[in-house]
Amino acid sequence: MNISPVTTEIIRSGLIQAAEDMNMTLIRSSYTPTIYEGKDCAVALLDREHRVLGQSSGLPIFLGNLEECTRYTEEQFGADVWEPDDVWVLNDSYIGGTHLNDCTVYAPIFVGAELVGFAASRAHWIDMGSKDPGGSMDSTSIYQEGLRMRPTRIVAAGVERPDMLGLIETNVRFPYVTLGDMRAQIACARMGVRRLGELFARYGAETIAAARAEIFAQTERLERERLAAIPDGEYAATGYLDNDAIDLETPLKVTVRITVSGERMTIDLTDCADQATGPVNCGSSQAVSAARVGYKLLISPTVSLNGGSFVPLEVRVREGSMLGAREPAACQYYYSSLGMLIDLVVKALAPAMPERVAAASYGDSMIVQFAGDNPRTGEPFVTLEATVGGWGAWQGGDGETALINNVNGSLRDLPIEVVETLYPVRVNEYRIREGSGGAGTWRGGDGVIREYVMEADQDLSLWWERSVTPAWGAFGGESGTPPRVTLNPGTVRAREMLKANSLRVRKGDVLRCESGGGGGYGDPAER
Amino acid sequence: MTYRVAMDIGGTFTDVVTYEGNARKLRAGKVLTTPEDLARGVFDALHELSFAEIEFFVHGTTQGLNALLERRGAKVLILTTQGIGDVYRIARGNRERLFDLHYRKPAPLVPREHIAEVAGRFDASGTELEPLDEDAVRQVAKRVREQGFEAVAVCFLFAYLDPEHERRAGSLLREELGEDVLVVLSHEVAPEWREYERTSSTVMEAYTGPSVHRYLDRIESRFAEQGLPVPVHVMQSSGGLVNAEFARRHPLQTLLSGPVGGTMGGVAASNLLDRPNLICVDMGGTSFDVSLVLDNAPDVSPDGECEGFPLLMPLVNLHTVGAGGGSLAYAEGSALRVGPESAGAVPGPACYGRGGTQATVTDANCVLGRVDPDSFAGGGMDLDLAAARSAVTALAGQLGMDPVELASGICDVGNAKMAQAIRTLTVEHGLEPGEFALLAFGGAGPMHAAFIAREIGVTEVVVPRFPGAFSAWGMLEADVRRDFTMQFFATSADLDTAALARSLDELRDLAWAALGEQGITEDKRSVVHGIDMRYESQDYTLTVPILDEDTVDSADFLARIEERFAEAHHRRYGHATPGAPVQFVTIRTTGHGVVPRPEAAPEPAPPASEPVIRDVVFDGKPCPTSIVARAELAVGARLNGPAIVHEDTATTVVPPGAELRVDEHGFLIIAIEFEETLV
Repeated sequence: MNISPVTTEIIRSGLIQAAEDMNMTLIRSSYTPTIYEGKDCAVALLDREHRVLGQSSGLPIFLGNLEECTRYTEEQFGADVWEPDDVWVLNDSYIGGTHLNDCTVYAPIFVGAELVGFAASRAHWIDMGSKDPGGSMDSTSIYQEGLRMRPTRIVAAGVERPDMLGLIETNVRFPYVTLGDMRAQIACARMGVRRLGELFARYGAETIAAARAEIFAQTERLERERLAAIPDGEYAATGYLDNDAIDLETPLKVTVRITVSGERMTIDLTDCADQATGPVNCGSSQAVSAARVGYKLLISPTVSLNGGSFVPLEVRVREGSMLGAREPAACQYYYSSLGMLIDLVVKALAPAMPERVAAASYGDSMIVQFAGDNPRTGEPFVTLEATVGGWGAWQGGDGETALINNVNGSLRDLPIEVVETLYPVRVNEYRIREGSGGAGTWRGGDGVIREYVMEADQDLSLWWERSVTPAWGAFGGESGTPPRVTLNPGTVRAREMLKANSLRVRKGDVLRCESGGGGGYGDPAER
Repeated sequence: MTYRVAMDIGGTFTDVVTYEGNARKLRAGKVLTTPEDLARGVFDALHELSFAEIEFFVHGTTQGLNALLERRGAKVLILTTQGIGDVYRIARGNRERLFDLHYRKPAPLVPREHIAEVAGRFDASGTELEPLDEDAVRQVAKRVREQGFEAVAVCFLFAYLDPEHERRAGSLLREELGEDVLVVLSHEVAPEWREYERTSSTVMEAYTGPSVHRYLDRIESRFAEQGLPVPVHVMQSSGGLVNAEFARRHPLQTLLSGPVGGTMGGVAASNLLDRPNLICVDMGGTSFDVSLVLDNAPDVSPDGECEGFPLLMPLVNLHTVGAGGGSLAYAEGSALRVGPESAGAVPGPACYGRGGTQATVTDANCVLGRVDPDSFAGGGMDLDLAAARSAVTALAGQLGMDPVELASGICDVGNAKMAQAIRTLTVEHGLEPGEFALLAFGGAGPMHAAFIAREIGVTEVVVPRFPGAFSAWGMLEADVRRDFTMQFFATSADLDTAALARSLDELRDLAWAALGEQGITEDKRSVVHGIDMRYESQDYTLTVPILDEDTVDSADFLARIEERFAEAHHRRYGHATPGAPVQFVTIRTTGHGVVPRPEAAPEPAPPASEPVIRDVVFDGKPCPTSIVARAELAVGARLNGPAIVHEDTATTVVPPGAELRVDEHGFLIIAIEFEETLV
């Protein structure tokens, strides 16, 4: 069937809009900041063959792996398993690739009796019943990390299944919030079912199929053109995670080897550390997604995502490595290696595209978590903050100061007035960590200093990274200053650490957190 | 003869609508905006009326917005709490574009070296931990004078709980600096938590305030020179009016005052038409603004942003997409794209004959015959139809299409985009567009409205009188409005209903008195309350109306308001969790003061001339189409599509199958017929 560019364009923007509507439904009605601000979520409309029709921006590292969930379900149970008005959930790390908190909720889309596609979303649920609230920084097995679900039907023929909801409710610490987020995802899936159904009713299956083929081909062609412009060759870069949070002395290697040949690219991740004891592992589908983020940042940042995306890209992962974890590897903090991997893809390709790349950023989330009983309310609390830091400079511009990292989406910091109102801590100081960005013709952005004073005894957990491989410079620019976290600085009890799991701290203790700066670009002498 | 006068001062043109009370006549006109001195343009526009006869003057001013857009606002110093001076620069650290390695936040309006910190601290319960360092404040005053700052933005932590330090710092600064320097206190601008957002709002007022101040002074003194006490009113971003005296003290509220006039016109139209829900679409040259009227009221958000800077103040919720008459059509490989890039005013669409060569939506309309070259812009502009045709033909060549087919396609793609923008806004409210009528205005709105309506399943399109000056008309239909907020943080477990009742009383008294200051008599005043609520750990709040103010401290209040919140949540998001713990965050109180409305009599239509029939392309085929002047359509007139109705400021397209009638208020009502069943 021949299709006009007009119809194709209208259907293309209709699919993108459908995904946007799903995303908005999810974000605006979710119950936890990790979703509505962290954008720790992603939505996709998939076709019958599990290819992306439209995806809305959520967390970049979830790029293109929601389809693994519908595909796996069909492989396990056969194509007859799909029924109208059913909704499913899955959070198995070795299928979805991430930690158990990331629950993918998906629904088949029928037009009449015919299955035409799927609506799916993934979102971070606040607690899955792990051994510590919210997830542990020292788990060594998936069985310590909470409730694990392979494909599970939570809505049957339009009705929530009380047995399955009961199972979830009894296994998580904050059931109201968790079920609220789950329902936001169900509402999101229904929005997708409705929107795709409308497009089929309007244009018919044949026209949609023709438009889809053309849309995929357009995207693939654009990506191929851009790859062809990169000089053929082998490119590589290596960095190290500080440790796996269990054995603090052993850094973990992350290497990317990139081959560009004509219109194709291969990203080889096989030369990475073996599966680790601590919770730094991820399933291979997630490593593939992170490699795609690095690719997209450089090759196709503004091209919409669909089944034609990433066709010219091959990603190789080694099963049994930290990036291709097997049961029962712990996966709670699966993302530090991925943030590093994204930066390394950019670093490796720097010689080939000096005007598009940037020096490295300060790293990943830099988590500060407080938990305990709040003396003001008498209720237990958990708060989790990610810390902003400096980004890398690029040809023509200094890196941005105090900006959230790649793995935290568009997360905002927590206002001091909100923190102090809700939790028993005070923020003494929040300022830019001057001079922490690397020198260069263009300077790296600066990190921040955030200093807390405990207003009650409580438990402190920390997940900070990138001290072994701080943000590197590019083309002669210098590295950024690595992060530093100090308990009771300037006292005899001063203690520096970057990782901690439920460390008891006392009323009056001071915690000073200093995030890293970004790398500089070009020789500082030419500034 | 007495006049009520409204003016919408835009970037290029100033629209004026006057209502002559005795004759009950409305008139619209247009003059060039005078960007170097907006006040002069205002008086040029008023020139034709004798000043003695103006009894009411309202305008939407872009003075503050221009100062912001051109970054020529005041030199501002930020004075804040010791330890947190960088909050303004950190700006919460979020990114708007996720795949951009070169991301930069919006450049701050105040550089880092213009931020001063002083000791003095409250905690989250409003208890003073450390007294204000008054000597340090005096040192800052000295610096302000020596370094020539024009304004000081004071924003201390927890000032919304206890403003004592801000008040004291404010009076010390005023004592040292006198009237020459504007001092803005954060608790007066936005008494709400979140220090960055409050600082940003305070800075915006300090940055734009002096220029708004000077402008309003000029306007009032010009009126005074004529010896006339004309009450000058200004439109606020909330859709309500205030007098110039208030606007001078709170200039921030006028920042986005122009475009909201259209929404307020929509509210008035919804009452006249007895259609409580309207989608208002304002399509001009470069942008397409959508806003909603819900239950005869404007859709107002408690906060918003401008140029990337958050603002804690009520704003009419306007959703803008880059789709206007000037949107560029281009090929990306074998694919057709339309917008968001625009040809702008210069060079403009190819048909303007100012050197534009790329096809735009307006050029496509020209090729299809939908623009009447004789009446475009009131006949004031010569259209170069050949240039439009050659721009579209060139693109058609690239895409291997017939030029007329492509012209239809460009409009279809543009219409589809605008339809999606509308769907996005209605979906956000948990409503489907089919539940609304579509009110179209702006120069290009009525040309596209019927097609957009078809895309979204709307069966009725309304084109008001003076569609090109509709925002100005809307200002004549707006009420005086004053908004008050109070932080009221509580959970379902610890809600103190007696304290809530006291806070509501306090806010009611404030609002009541504020309306008095606006010259509103008691019988014209009304006050309503709402409270922002959310489920524990949610961030977005919903404002739930408190209609039962008198029974707030009764035992079942909590159950009642929780139920109303659950209903609102369900309607908006499709789900709720009854029984889950909720939080109360902010009380929002609004005072409305009714002002007299124009009561225009229907205009007699001149005898209709013989309709001109011309070929216009619809669905790819030329169709004989009636070309009609709006002035000749009397109340009750009916017309079957295809037809084109032209007037000075706009062109209305009635496609085949649609039917137009003129209602008793002079609105054009287009009934849309659906050939296929839409969902």
